[in-house]
Amino acid sequence: MTQTLKTTPLISRHQAANARLVDFSGWLMPVQYPTGIIREHLNTRLTGGLFDVSHMGRFLISGPDKLAFCRYALTNDAALLVPGQSQYTLLAADDGTAIDDAYLYCPSETEYLLVVNAGNLRKDWQHLKNLSAPFDVTVTDISSKTVMLAVQGPASAQVIADLLTGASVPAKRNEVARMSYRGHTVQVSRTGYTGEPVAFEVIFPAEAADEFWDACVRLGMAPVGLGARDTLRLEAGLPLYGHEFGDAPDGTPIPIFASPLARFGVKMTPGRPDFFGGKALADQVASPPARVIRAFRVTGKGIPRAGCEVFHQDKSIGWVTSGTMVPYWKTPGVDADGHATRALGLAWINRSAAIGDELAFNVRGKLIPGTLVKANLNNRRPPYAMPVVSDSPS
Amino acid sequence: MSTQVKMLKSHEWAKLEDGIATIGITPYAVEQLGDIVFVEMPDIDDTVTKEQQFGEIESVKAASELFAPMSGKIVAVNDDLEDDYNVLGRDAFGAGWLIKVEVSDPAEFDALLSEDDYKATCTD
Repeated sequence: MTQTLKTTPLISRHQAANARLVDFSGWLMPVQYPTGIIREHLNTRLTGGLFDVSHMGRFLISGPDKLAFCRYALTNDAALLVPGQSQYTLLAADDGTAIDDAYLYCPSETEYLLVVNAGNLRKDWQHLKNLSAPFDVTVTDISSKTVMLAVQGPASAQVIADLLTGASVPAKRNEVARMSYRGHTVQVSRTGYTGEPVAFEVIFPAEAADEFWDACVRLGMAPVGLGARDTLRLEAGLPLYGHEFGDAPDGTPIPIFASPLARFGVKMTPGRPDFFGGKALADQVASPPARVIRAFRVTGKGIPRAGCEVFHQDKSIGWVTSGTMVPYWKTPGVDADGHATRALGLAWINRSAAIGDELAFNVRGKLIPGTLVKANLNNRRPPYAMPVVSDSPS
Repeated sequence: MSTQVKMLKSHEWAKLEDGIATIGITPYAVEQLGDIVFVEMPDIDDTVTKEQQFGEIESVKAASELFAPMSGKIVAVNDDLEDDYNVLGRDAFGAGWLIKVEVSDPAEFDALLSEDDYKATCTD
């Protein structure tokens, strides 16, 4: 069974750490270490977490038409990037739904790097290849030659500063720099998927993977598996393709602008040439989708999961797209005060639903109460991500 | 007095004493589930039926059904668990008990797997 699954260059580290390895989109990946998902989530928020995300796709885009190609194939406007910046973006289908969500990095004047979801790599590659035909552009899949790690949490900036040299550690969200680790070039970006205000992603040649991983662990970054990666992003309200993008639980394809974060990933800059999916997206701006993705928290006892129906005043208003139980520190940054857990998630519901609305979730036939919230986490007070747990709707 | 523990293949255990079955899940099941974050319990006076679902135990990632090893009426539910589900990992056969049932047919206990037979099914 395992011989058909791909492994990242860090597999020996996961095995040595006794990680529970599972099939994730054809990759043998750690879902958790013996620490457990709860503790790994808490470790990331308290000090820092180290994530192997090498299974994600990494495509280098170069050539004379690289900018024009990016502006055509991706929903965000690559013309807004100068070297040293990155942006959230999407691969749109021509009906305005998402083929994938992604991140575009501009580390230098000579190329862009596009990072896509592991599960959509083949599909994205084919789509980009098809769209690239009229452009003088080269798209190269460098996934297997590189590793990608996320180094997220309050102590991560010090770790990056201690291990990497050659440039300033990116200080602002979306900044990207080329730094050096033992003679290897490392792309370091102030980006991530955990909601942590201090957060980095690093991409570098596979040969240096083990050394860098070990160095991060020695400096106190806790290995974190895909299980906690999901609880962290859900607490932060971040979308996951296949849940908040792709098809809704009732089979309806979710329009890109159903997600409130789409406005950060789609830019109809004045004068921007037509781009793939742009017409459908402009239609969505003119006529906003009837259902939108919203964050909720549970006030009763139970855990609404993806596929649970959502009710407001006895009427069905949509479906949960992601839901789970997450831990949080009672006092961020202070482990002595202990932690608690709370059930929360994201749902695809009627856009008329208002923050503070009392909701009911059908969990295996039982109605569990909850509330619509603006967010379950905010990072207005770095270096800690602050859970929003009070009864007040905001 | 024997406090023999017997199991269902689905990882629930039972101890029978004076017509009351104390029921829980095995350490093996707890380990497989990972961090447990919620247990959906039945109510006192509810009826349970052997090998039918009486509740749900949830890890971060998924919900798993709980099946009753014996039939009868619920006389106690372990409400303390929700203060610290880690008790299940520390003491699955003791403080980690889930429900107590006034059994309708004590002979059902004989049909359960012995601890050794249960362990053999875990390595299948």
